[in-house]
Amino acid sequence: MLKVDHVRKEFGKVRAVSDVSFEIPKGITFGLLGPNGAGKTTSMRMILGILVPDAGSVTWDGGAVDGSMRRRFGYLPEERGLYGKMKVADQISFFGRLHGLVEPEITRRTNAWIERLGIGAYAGRPCAELSKGNQQKVQVACASVHEPELLILDEPFSGLDPVNADMLLAILRDLQAKGTTLVLSSHQMWQLEALCDRFCIITRGENRASGSLAELRAAWATRVLRVAPGSDAVRAVLDRIPGASFVASDSGAVDYAVPANTDFRGALKTLVEADAVVRFDAIEPSLHDIYIKTIEEAA
Amino acid sequence: MNDFIVVYSAEFLRRIRSRPYQIGFIVGILGIYAMAKLPSLMVGGMLSAGSGVVVAGAPSLTAPAAKALAGDFKIVATKPGLAPPAIADLKGRDAAFWVTLARSKSGLDVTIYSDKAKSDGPSTIAGDLAPLNVQLGADVPAATAANLVDLKPRVVQLSTKFSNSKDATATWAVAYTLIMFLYVLILVNSQLVMSSVAEEKTSRIAELLVASISPVALLYGKVASAATLAVLQMVVWIGFAILLGIAGSGSHAAAAPSGPDIGVLLGGSLTLGLIAAFVALFVLGFLQLSLLFAGMGSLINRTEDLGSISAPLIIPVVAALLVSMAALGNPDATWVVALSFVPIFSPFVLFARIAMTDVPTLQLVLAFAVNVAAVIAISAIAGKLYRIGMLLYGRAPNLKQVWQVIRS
Repeated sequence: MLKVDHVRKEFGKVRAVSDVSFEIPKGITFGLLGPNGAGKTTSMRMILGILVPDAGSVTWDGGAVDGSMRRRFGYLPEERGLYGKMKVADQISFFGRLHGLVEPEITRRTNAWIERLGIGAYAGRPCAELSKGNQQKVQVACASVHEPELLILDEPFSGLDPVNADMLLAILRDLQAKGTTLVLSSHQMWQLEALCDRFCIITRGENRASGSLAELRAAWATRVLRVAPGSDAVRAVLDRIPGASFVASDSGAVDYAVPANTDFRGALKTLVEADAVVRFDAIEPSLHDIYIKTIEEAA
Repeated sequence: MNDFIVVYSAEFLRRIRSRPYQIGFIVGILGIYAMAKLPSLMVGGMLSAGSGVVVAGAPSLTAPAAKALAGDFKIVATKPGLAPPAIADLKGRDAAFWVTLARSKSGLDVTIYSDKAKSDGPSTIAGDLAPLNVQLGADVPAATAANLVDLKPRVVQLSTKFSNSKDATATWAVAYTLIMFLYVLILVNSQLVMSSVAEEKTSRIAELLVASISPVALLYGKVASAATLAVLQMVVWIGFAILLGIAGSGSHAAAAPSGPDIGVLLGGSLTLGLIAAFVALFVLGFLQLSLLFAGMGSLINRTEDLGSISAPLIIPVVAALLVSMAALGNPDATWVVALSFVPIFSPFVLFARIAMTDVPTLQLVLAFAVNVAAVIAISAIAGKLYRIGMLLYGRAPNLKQVWQVIRS
């Protein structure tokens, strides 16, 4: 388990992280969310031991993160970087070697990653000659070639076209299946929602919400009730639900925000009696909704 | 240790395959040819200009001789008697040469005492005194005009290190060449370390590297591989020079002495002690400078800034080179001795002193201790700069901020 316990980090007078805590059980995929400047990258760097927290601690399997532990981690930073003049295959092998792999395993894994990423034609070419998308693929291979126990990816989908984004998603699912613990940050909420088991939303260097999507939704006070047709009779019934408020109407349907503990079965029964209802959806908040609301509340 | 070895081997391969290194290798070899003739050009006249001379012997000879020499030298004293002087006699009078004159069967018997290892002073003195020799030799029946004009003074080297001026001149040339090697190898390779650090920082791969291995292993792996490549260069260059010497000793044996042939001299005058001192001082100098360059290189965000940030480090190295060149001619001057204990200057100046004089053991031990301490101190400072600088993006830090990082 990765445990981040009340870490704080300051750079001179700037406090990048005030108080962040979360626990990540082994083998799960964890989404670290927050606006730009929230402290995500600094938190990731503290997990990796690149930065030392001014307060608090980071532990993996109960022990402080040290050099030998870091060799079992993988990292894809937000700002991508490769040796421009080094050949693709050499680059992947170099990072494998840095993480303790030896021949012939290095060559086997390097070749496997090159094939998996579909960059065989570029294996012998310097990285600088590759397109941005292909460079990013090489970086994913560099971060993953040693099959890390913990893989941290900072904005892994940025700059990728939809085809390559899907390829990366598939690669991350494979790593997930092999038991790699993944920590990733992204502004692509739908991708995180599809991939992550647990989330933590931070802003201004502090935790604002954390848990599984179900837990985050359970803490959400309202649901959106979408009913069609949006007739006067239907709206009259919805107006009578305690705490309900009109949100919008569109394409013959009407949306109302209602308390999460509303008696939906009873409401449906009343609506059916009032009109010929053809649609009744109690819509759960999306991760995007939860994120936006959390950030707004923290502002 | 694994981190260090991986970085070391990767850096080694990356750099040895790089075009700048290969070009530098070849340019170095070509430079050896150029340097072979440079010493005589640089030093010719430099040492003789303004040099003081003591003229000793019978007054009937010293008076016309002093008059003949006055055009090229400052006559600081005329002395009766032919007793050989000590070094202190020259230094006490601020004189570079002590010329004794006596009558002989073939004209004038001239002996020149000097504490300088390399100078064209004796040949100038011989030229100045040739008319006097002709004048005195006119009464000598056996003398021919050619013999009288071609005055051949006896030159005595006043030094505990060299038995004669030929040895001193040869060692001077060897030391000169090795100091040039030292300068080129230290400066060029330190700048290559800086470029490598800057490349990793500006390409943003640095963050990936320090996430995988310790910054210290990264820094030292880089510096060690650069040192190995520099030693490789050094071995090839010196080997080439020795080969030139072996070849030159045959083909140039009968050639006129228009100046020291570095190839010939290296072939015959390189001693194991000098090579050991060279290697040791190269390692110490390279570590001091390359670590400083690496630390400073980690602070820049654009490779275009390399020049501006390296300038403050290059200036003292160039100054050290110039001082060491001067030290070759005056290795026991107080200011030279003092600078041989100052880090950055010391590897160059101390080497010049080791080559040209007998450096007291205590001074040697102290100078090496100072250099080792400087490496440790610079290593700590560079390590701090590197650890923080590699993740520092945005506006380049000013001197105040750099100082804060060092103090943190």
